[in-house]
Amino acid sequence: MMIVKSSSAIALLSLSLAAVALTGCSSESNADAKSGSSTCDKSDIKLVGQVRNESNPYEAAWLNGGDAFAKSVGLEQQRLTYDGDSTKQQEQISQLLAGDTDCLVMNILPNGDSDTPPIVEQAQEAGAYLVTQWNKPADLNVTDYSQWLSHITYDGKTSGKEIGDALATAIGGSGGIIALQGILDTGAAKDRFAGLEESLKANTGVELLDQQTANFSRAEALDVTKTLLAKHGDKIKGIWAANDDMALGALEALKAAGKEGKVAVVGIDAVPDALTAIQNGSMTATVSSDGPWQGGIGLAIGYCAATGDLDVADIKDRAWFAEQFLIQKDNVADFIDPKVDDADFACDNLFSRSQGPIS
Amino acid sequence: MTSPVEDVEIVAARPPRRGVSLRDAGPLIALVVVTLIFSVLSSEFRTLGNFQNIMDSAAVLTVVTCGITFVLLTGSIDLSAPGVMGAAAIAVSLLVANNRNDNNLGLIGVLIAIALAAALGCLSGLALVMLKVPSFMTTLGVSAVGLGIATLLFAGVQPNISDEMLASLAVDRFLGFSYLTWLAAVCVVAGYLIQRYSRLGRYAFAIGGAEEVLSLSGVKVAPYKVAVFTLASAFYGLAGVMVTSQLSAGLVQAGKGYDFAAITAAVVGGTLLTGGRGGILHSAVGVLLVTVLTNGMVQVGVSPYWQGGVQGLIVVVAVAAAVAPQRRRNQVTK
Repeated sequence: MMIVKSSSAIALLSLSLAAVALTGCSSESNADAKSGSSTCDKSDIKLVGQVRNESNPYEAAWLNGGDAFAKSVGLEQQRLTYDGDSTKQQEQISQLLAGDTDCLVMNILPNGDSDTPPIVEQAQEAGAYLVTQWNKPADLNVTDYSQWLSHITYDGKTSGKEIGDALATAIGGSGGIIALQGILDTGAAKDRFAGLEESLKANTGVELLDQQTANFSRAEALDVTKTLLAKHGDKIKGIWAANDDMALGALEALKAAGKEGKVAVVGIDAVPDALTAIQNGSMTATVSSDGPWQGGIGLAIGYCAATGDLDVADIKDRAWFAEQFLIQKDNVADFIDPKVDDADFACDNLFSRSQGPIS
Repeated sequence: MTSPVEDVEIVAARPPRRGVSLRDAGPLIALVVVTLIFSVLSSEFRTLGNFQNIMDSAAVLTVVTCGITFVLLTGSIDLSAPGVMGAAAIAVSLLVANNRNDNNLGLIGVLIAIALAAALGCLSGLALVMLKVPSFMTTLGVSAVGLGIATLLFAGVQPNISDEMLASLAVDRFLGFSYLTWLAAVCVVAGYLIQRYSRLGRYAFAIGGAEEVLSLSGVKVAPYKVAVFTLASAFYGLAGVMVTSQLSAGLVQAGKGYDFAAITAAVVGGTLLTGGRGGILHSAVGVLLVTVLTNGMVQVGVSPYWQGGVQGLIVVVAVAAAVAPQRRRNQVTK
């Protein structure tokens, strides 16, 4: 019985293999695409964008960018948020992957580095197309997985240095500054601060008077800045903040101390309030990762892979740094109303913003 | 003839009194010692400007702690501050003059936000007494509800306030302190008066001390418990409004971390988690102690990588010292 059963199974298997081979031959362009999986009809593709929450302008803009891309290809994006809760994120992913996954495209912001491996494993098993952004353990290689199309992140060292240099210029190349660090055990905080240290080496006239953490929080930055203003007084000519929220908190502290406009402030992220502050001159510079583009690009890469227009083997760097933009008064107008450019999401132009592989 | 009797009375009365004064003075002594140490170590710490700064940064935590103290006195716990503050912060920023809509309700907007906060507190209290859900869970749930309301109202665009009155509270000063600091001082006084002279305040102590005795003597405890949570949340609501004033913007995360910061401050000040002991003035001392620690470590120049750990250690030592006189009571509770 057993032997009969298994031999019939083998027969079935070889038949279906032959069928796959035949259909593979009939469609020329995808002859060497992923074995066993056929390409998807446009209408079958399901697009999902997942971020922490919509209560922060950057991530809300991210999802809006995803909507814009989905609209451009005549689809809709499913918007998911997990409130910065790792468990909730994993549950949502599991639920998603329990459904029909053949033509599922996911653009995911993992909550932290350690949340990425289970997401990748599950997507690989289910055969869904996955792009992750920002967080990934350094030793997890994208190329080990066929369904994990890309991991996109930004070089925090570059952004930290760029705003450090902008700050140095704003204070005339000499004087004291203070630094507000992010959550100390995150990669973003470490890299951005390393960037500042590099900038300080180049700008020898600038002295780092003090550095404190304000945990990326506007309210904490307010208190810390007040304390540092009490400590260093007029010696502070500039404030370097590892994100815009802290920069905005520092601005409020300056306002309370009657020093608004007299101390230069820089941040990273390009949140709307920071752009307004740059426009009216109370802030000097910020760096944009272009949230709407991030929301669109992840879906676009998955979409192009699903339709067969993009071959995973053709992607040069699967884990790559994307281009970021230094925003100052002269170019802030271009970023006030962020829009996505459909040309960035064309299947032959997906990697135009790549700054090279993640080192 | 009468003198021996008097002696007996004095002997009988003294020991408990001495215990009370030591317990009450412990955190205050710690505050003075810590302040002196930092003053010796740092010349920047002992300036008038930094003293003003400490009082200003203690303002919001003081108001939250005033609220949470009443809940702790009853022997319950309240983790709803982050959600309630977030809801109040977003609500007030959308009701006063702002960049999102044409509302310009001024003080009425502030009162509505505080009323919303109080309603959330009432919900915690009702769930506690009617559904018998432990306060730990109800308040955690209500915090999530508050954050949910805040997120819905937030709708992806940061509300920035342009209301002159609210914005000036954090910036303008009276006798060297910002108006928010004075507001916090008023809260402490009001809280103390409620605790000392109102039935609500006295019953809060009694509920925490011996709830069964109170209900056996014919007092309906439930309404007072609901009232305590409502009052506490009204304080959180005001704190949310104060954060909005400081940041000139309504943040969903306005109350992030304030739940445990306030509980820590209250306990450091000598308000017991088991209920029935402590009070507003204790908690106010606790807030100052915690704030002085945070400020002092920056002024002295402790590396930010060390601060969290050092502060935690000092808090544990301070609490241990504060509760030392009543170790026996604490052994009973886990």
